[in-house]
Amino acid sequence: MSNNVKKHYDVIVIGGGITGAGTARDCAMRGLSVLLVERYDFTYGATGRNHGLLHSGARYAVTDGESAAECIKENMTLRKIARHCVDETEGLFITLPEDDLHYQDTFVEACHKAGINAEAIDPAEARRMEPAVNPTLIGAVKVPDASIDPFRLTTANVVDARLHGADTLTYHEVVELLVEQNRCVGVKLRNNHNGEMSEVHADLTINAAGIWGHLVAKQAGITVNMFPAKGALLIFGHRVNNMVINRCRKPANADILVPDDTVCVIGTTSDRVPFEECDHMKVTPEEVDILMREGEKLAPSLATTRILRAYAGVRPLVASDDDPSGRSISRGIVCLDHESRDGMAGFITITGGKMMTYRMMAEEATDLACKKLGIDKKCETATTPLPGSEPRNDEQYKTYSYAQKAAEGRHGTLTSEIKSGDNEDDALVCECEEVTVGEVKYAINQLHVHNLINLRRRTRVGMGTCQGELCACRAACVLGKESGDTAKSGADLASFINERWKGMQPVAWGDTLNEAQLTATIYQGLCGLNKFVDKKEVEK
Amino acid sequence: MKFDSIIIGGGLSGLTAGIKLAKAGQKVALVAAGHSTLHFNSGSFDLLGHDEQGNAVANPTEAIAKLSAAHPYKKVADVAKLAGEAKQLLADAGLAVEGDAARNHYRLSPMGVAMPAWLTIGGYLTLDDPASIKYKNVAIVNINGYLDFPVAFVADALEKMGAKVAIKTISTPALEVARRSPSEMRATNIAKVLERDGQLEEAAQAINAVLSGEDAVLLPAVLGIADGNGVALLGNLVKTTVKFVATLPPSVPGVRTETLLRKRFEALGGTYIAGDRVKGGKFKGQHLASIETENLTGAELAADTFVLATGSFMSRGLSANYQRVWETAFNLDVDAAADRASWTSEDVFDAQPYQEFGVKTDDKLRVSLGGKTVDNFYAAGSVLSGHNSLKLADGTGVSMLTALQVANNILND
Amino acid sequence: MANETQLSSISANNFEQCLKCSICTVYCPVAAVNPKYPGPKQSGPDGARYRLKNPAFFDEALKMCLNCKRCEVACPNDVRIGDIIQKARIDYSTHKPSLRDTMLANTDFVGTMANIVAPVTNFALGLPITKSVLHSVMSIDKHRSFPKYSSTKFETWFKRNALKEQDAFKKHVSYFHGCYVNYNFPKLGQDLVKVMNAVGYGVHLLEKEKCCGVALISNGLIGQAKRQAQLNTDSIRKSVADDKRPVLTTSSTCTFTMRDEYPHLLGVDNADVRDGLTLATRFLFRLVDEGKIKLAFRPDYKLRVAYHTACHMQKMGWAIYSTELLKMIPGVEFTMLESQCCGIAGTYGFKRENYETSQAIGSSLFDNIKRVNPDVVATDCETCKWQIEMSTGYQVMNPISIIADALDVEKTIELNK
Repeated sequence: MSNNVKKHYDVIVIGGGITGAGTARDCAMRGLSVLLVERYDFTYGATGRNHGLLHSGARYAVTDGESAAECIKENMTLRKIARHCVDETEGLFITLPEDDLHYQDTFVEACHKAGINAEAIDPAEARRMEPAVNPTLIGAVKVPDASIDPFRLTTANVVDARLHGADTLTYHEVVELLVEQNRCVGVKLRNNHNGEMSEVHADLTINAAGIWGHLVAKQAGITVNMFPAKGALLIFGHRVNNMVINRCRKPANADILVPDDTVCVIGTTSDRVPFEECDHMKVTPEEVDILMREGEKLAPSLATTRILRAYAGVRPLVASDDDPSGRSISRGIVCLDHESRDGMAGFITITGGKMMTYRMMAEEATDLACKKLGIDKKCETATTPLPGSEPRNDEQYKTYSYAQKAAEGRHGTLTSEIKSGDNEDDALVCECEEVTVGEVKYAINQLHVHNLINLRRRTRVGMGTCQGELCACRAACVLGKESGDTAKSGADLASFINERWKGMQPVAWGDTLNEAQLTATIYQGLCGLNKFVDKKEVEK
Repeated sequence: MKFDSIIIGGGLSGLTAGIKLAKAGQKVALVAAGHSTLHFNSGSFDLLGHDEQGNAVANPTEAIAKLSAAHPYKKVADVAKLAGEAKQLLADAGLAVEGDAARNHYRLSPMGVAMPAWLTIGGYLTLDDPASIKYKNVAIVNINGYLDFPVAFVADALEKMGAKVAIKTISTPALEVARRSPSEMRATNIAKVLERDGQLEEAAQAINAVLSGEDAVLLPAVLGIADGNGVALLGNLVKTTVKFVATLPPSVPGVRTETLLRKRFEALGGTYIAGDRVKGGKFKGQHLASIETENLTGAELAADTFVLATGSFMSRGLSANYQRVWETAFNLDVDAAADRASWTSEDVFDAQPYQEFGVKTDDKLRVSLGGKTVDNFYAAGSVLSGHNSLKLADGTGVSMLTALQVANNILND
Repeated sequence: MANETQLSSISANNFEQCLKCSICTVYCPVAAVNPKYPGPKQSGPDGARYRLKNPAFFDEALKMCLNCKRCEVACPNDVRIGDIIQKARIDYSTHKPSLRDTMLANTDFVGTMANIVAPVTNFALGLPITKSVLHSVMSIDKHRSFPKYSSTKFETWFKRNALKEQDAFKKHVSYFHGCYVNYNFPKLGQDLVKVMNAVGYGVHLLEKEKCCGVALISNGLIGQAKRQAQLNTDSIRKSVADDKRPVLTTSSTCTFTMRDEYPHLLGVDNADVRDGLTLATRFLFRLVDEGKIKLAFRPDYKLRVAYHTACHMQKMGWAIYSTELLKMIPGVEFTMLESQCCGIAGTYGFKRENYETSQAIGSSLFDNIKRVNPDVVATDCETCKWQIEMSTGYQVMNPISIIADALDVEKTIELNK
């Protein structure tokens, strides 16, 4: 997708996570000219490395009533505006024999106070509703949790921002904030593919760079105290559970199991990590052990289910005290007007919060932006469906092929833009996740795909059981055809296979190790892919 | 049921051992738990492609002498002799291969990488020098809709070698029908279509129609699943030199190799037990008396000697859980790191320690259980410890040569 | 943490053990000839993950699976691919069986009716007009000949001619004869009684026996299949556990269905008696192998036999028993045919929409048989028999019948006294 970037915008949004994408959408919908810049790919940071849980807010009800109330409000909103990103699974909070059953009453009461429809149910009923749940449970509360796909949610926000006139640049890193007389007037960008520098000006710059936001602010000499809280998660090979399962106790390690698309995810741990580690997250054997040990308590069958991969993200919490884990820090939204706070006009930081409340964060930042720019237009993001989230045509859905149904889950009603019906477009690239040539082409042409990792985030290519065994090569060919640079596609494929391995390595035993050996046999033994490795690759 | 020898594993090493023993007059049974890693084969066999420092090997026989002591080749008495025997064994099974154990040639990988090889099936493209190709003007002809042959990579590689390359696609009505399946347009299914009456002639016509004076045409390896007849016939029908290049799996030359070896084994009187898994055995002291399988329950499979040729992790010869690595069927002694963190390396392209895991054997390639050698139980092929077949490019060589050595050890005992 | 946590991934029919190696796709007889069938990998382990997410991902094209299980035999990772596909049909299909499917599936009901009027039925089923009606109205392919119905059921014959002698033997077995022996081909049952009696075993019918249900499963009549499975399992249990009589069969498909499909697909637990249910050739071979019985064959018996491994025989891994027995007959010149599907798959090949696929699948087997040109083809499956006889003209015999023909009965009785 070509970008004719202008010299000047009303607003530059820094950060292609869900907050940045949502802010770009909101600004664009209110008629501002917007440039969204992201140093790597959309969802590269915490957005792409969390549970995919559409919180009901119940998790925070006892400890952080404000967050809980925000959650349930947004939960209901996202079900409407992001229909195709949400899987309405509902959730359970279970009490195990080792837990205090009295906590359940406190919990239900706090939920009600926050406006969350929590209903204590009989453990037998819980076992019936969710057969995977630990059968020894002594209490269960049903809550309106659900599962949400952060990749789709971000993509949909980006697509809508563009539909409203926004420009977007991926692989462009802000290396300098342009400051004139205590006013931020724009950014200096480095193209991370070719190193080219450029400057773009704007009346207002919004820093939505997540955990990296403090580094952006630092460029303007401003201090924002972040608290990098690492959370590790494990992905299991299939949907063990069809409802979100939580532990009914104070938030702790590995107490949420979320069914996400074709897999399920257990998480998280929470540990403060040095800032230097934020770009090179590794999951340690100890974290894997905790996740397995605790996960098994939620759903015993996890003990014998294949683990596809492990990954970790960093929550962009705003530091408040000396809490070593960050668990007690509020997940509340922090919107900093640097003009009033630090005497730096034209610069706003939006941070804290969480994926669940991204839209509120975007609204708050955009409200402030509009106020500063003298625009009087109301936020409509809570009522306007995201592209693809219009109601599904069930009659048409019934006629869909298997792969089209899978695509509908990813792109909603935009599936109609994916070419199908001829042998070429219907052929499958990824067999585990049912991605056709047509869908790959659609993603390449419409959804900012420069490499296979981008493609995976837009389509699930290589996210299935085999983690890219045959599909990665097929996808590289389709992508290579577009780029015309075979050496680059080869390096891209090598880097994709390495990125897949990075998640498999911490859990490389059982079938995951067998799979890794097979993949190595195909790509290294048969194909000699190691010859294509480019050590200077952009995104690790 | 009593046999002279029972082979556990139906891959290259199991079949090689089975054929040699059956040919020597033994009553042999072979138990195969599904099909083998030959299904990921390139159409070539390697003996030793790289030394332990990562340098390309010109003369494998010589370079093998310099390998470290843990390498399974160190238990093979006469590498050059057995390499010759292996080549003959393939030929006797109906698989014509070309190559020399004293001089590596190169094969072209599906991604256009020139990779060292010892033997290559007739009709497949080989190079004497990894940087040049003798054809100056080449057409790469893919089948319309076939996704597992990365044409652009092959074209790019050939251009770098100095050839002029044209990329073409062809189809036939029958291939267009096959193509209606979104998932099953695979090398092996294409090969089955091309084997039907008259199909090869149609394909040849289509190929001729897109040629314009090239001195060679390269095709994905989608022909010859049962035998080499089609490959030869197509060579006659197409108006210029035809050479095949490996595809992504499933591998047509690999299926052919496995099928021909199995048929050869059966023709020599061997009993091939398909789709069955060995669960364990009855040991009498340091002696394995019989084995039990999933299907043939009741420990009925007795033999004087046994050969373990069950492969590595991906073939389920070895297993790992998050605590340990073990040999799957008998819990035989293994060479494997105890600590999970030392099984793998962070970069997928670095040497992965798990690749070298395998069963412990004595100098006669006999396995051990509980620290003691089992006197009539041998191991061959990828289940052996002590080498990284991806880094050394020695997988098929180790499979065949250790299998032949095991057969010699059994026959000489 | 439990010591063997993560020992292996346990998922329904091992679908998670699938390494996506695609080996199964090489051996699927259907995908190779019919592009409408998504193949074993897509239909099986790939699809299973999506169906867990949403049953809407069930694809009715899965009914094109023959349930030959050759994908399972091919799989190096023990994934029960065929079971995954059949289980998906059971769990998710909303397709209601047609009258034709119900008729084809109810082999014993139709058999009972047909036996009563056997000459008329056989005559009528052979008429072009009947075939044409069946073809167009019932969608039963006109090329098919129905197996002939016998006028006397095996059970009737047994009660009249054999029953009273059986108690005199010291050792005893039960016989699950199945529909085919009962209605179409009592001779096979008679052969079994002859052979077993000769080696000193009395043969008994089960207290109750219903069709094993293989056709009910493939035609989606699952409730009925479960009821019959339970009844048969109870009968087998009574014979094996209470009466200490192993249950013998002469059909590989019935055996496979009752041993493996009952627990895997129908949820009928037979673990306690599964080992007691066995194919007659396996039972005999093991007795010979262990030296417990001896067989004597007629010196004048000469036959060139080519053995065809039926799919379910291949899956059970028991062809070796039948073939080793046949090889014991001095006058048998034995050829092993390359193991491949004949294409009939029970009632599958009878359906008009499957006829072409069915014949395309079997064609290389038929060519192979013609090349070998044996006196008879031997196989342990009755539907393979129909298909091969119809498609090649060669006579097909069950190994038990060949043994019965070749057996020197007097001498065998003498040897086993």
